[in-house]
Amino acid sequence: MMNAQLVGLSREVALRRELDVIANNLANMNTTGFQAERVAFEDYLMPRAEASAFQHRDHDVAFVQDWATYRDTQPGAREMTGNELDIALSPGGYLTVETPQGIRYTRDGALQINDQGQLVTHSGHPVISLGGTPILFTPADSDITIGGSGQITTNAGGRGTLQLVSFPSEQALEKVGANLFAAPEAADPDPSVRLTQGVLETSNVQPVREMSRMVEVQRAYEMQSNMMRQSDQMRQEAIRLLGRLS
Amino acid sequence: MQALYIASTGMMAQETNVEVISNNIANMRTAGFKKQRAEFQDLLYQNLRRVGAETSEQGTILPSGVQIGSGVMTAATPRIMSQGSIQPTDKELDMAISGDGFFQIQLPDGGTAYTRAGTFERDATGTLVTADGFTVEPGITIPNNARGLAIGVDGTVTAVLGTGGTATTIGQVELARFINQSGLQAIGDNLFMETASSGAPVTGNPGEEGFGSVRQGYIELANVNSVTEISDLIAAQRAYEMNARVVRAADEMLSNTSQMMR
Repeated sequence: MMNAQLVGLSREVALRRELDVIANNLANMNTTGFQAERVAFEDYLMPRAEASAFQHRDHDVAFVQDWATYRDTQPGAREMTGNELDIALSPGGYLTVETPQGIRYTRDGALQINDQGQLVTHSGHPVISLGGTPILFTPADSDITIGGSGQITTNAGGRGTLQLVSFPSEQALEKVGANLFAAPEAADPDPSVRLTQGVLETSNVQPVREMSRMVEVQRAYEMQSNMMRQSDQMRQEAIRLLGRLS
Repeated sequence: MQALYIASTGMMAQETNVEVISNNIANMRTAGFKKQRAEFQDLLYQNLRRVGAETSEQGTILPSGVQIGSGVMTAATPRIMSQGSIQPTDKELDMAISGDGFFQIQLPDGGTAYTRAGTFERDATGTLVTADGFTVEPGITIPNNARGLAIGVDGTVTAVLGTGGTATTIGQVELARFINQSGLQAIGDNLFMETASSGAPVTGNPGEEGFGSVRQGYIELANVNSVTEISDLIAAQRAYEMNARVVRAADEMLSNTSQMMR
């Protein structure tokens, strides 16, 4: 009887976390280059509940556990902005960004130029070139063109090539906020990654899907708490009936 | 229940988004206005199961962990410094910059501001001033007897003085450029100020390397595209609604929890 409550509790905790993930997806509906997350659940068998000593073997008690959040790596919709410093990367491609914490990767291609003429993300971290150095512009540069594989040219000549990378397992990347990802090990430049200038990749969150999942989570939670209430009532009833002296 | 707070960050971000869009729409007919765009970024993540953690003594690792985000924030509202369309006005002191650069304006307090709005006038002394009466730098004085005022694409201001038929140069329009134009700070009245992130101004004559050229008798309209703004507004409004819906769902779940106790 106690198990019904505890299994229910594990489900409720998992559902709450799932709602957190949905809320985060919906909050980032307009975040450039954001990848939606999904929760994967798995059952967790509790070995002690296995009472194989009985004649009829008990059922295993399975608890719910949120086993992983994984990212939906499908590309988001492309939005034409016409801005020369906006770029969208092909699926699986990432820009390399230098931060005080080390090398990070991003799919957010809304770039800017800072006061030193470096090409930076909107948090001000420099985007690095193939040589590992930031890309520098001079005040006289205009008409910036970024080619399909990251070569940057201005009216005054070449300014380097963006370091575009890809990963054998994109799921191994860890989100660190500010649209950045940390990788377990440094990635090698991948010449197959392409980009388009003047276009941004919007967040790949599909609002319809998130809303329906949210309704589902909410109802599941409601059912779960009803069930827990009923099992509580059963227990109360049992105490009342069995405890009565005849 | 974090969802409540996560959704509220989403609502706040969309509120900012609507503010930025409405300012763009309000300034649709402002000469030299450059539209802004709200950029968002995700907040920190909470690692409940860290990706890459070892799951056995044989060194197997988690291919992906459990990461719960904590919402969204507005990262920046950069200005999109693209060229606005150029409209003929037939007014001889109207100037539009086609390409990069800003007109330099001297503020009453002595500082210098920068603008793309070339709707200039002449004051009582013949000095070229903005619609607010601030002097254009370097100062250009148009004598009383000047006729046939012409401003070349390179910014040379010429006029026919007195009775003769030959034009004399009476001034030169200069432009200023910044390495990071988006880093300029808007102070209203179509003016921008230099900041640490814009870098120092580089001045030069129109038409020189990297500078745009000046067109007399035209003004540059705002670079706001009404269709894009309206569709962004619709998207922002719906996003706000959905985040509000998450708040309600979280609220109902909490109320279910509280009903479990009697």
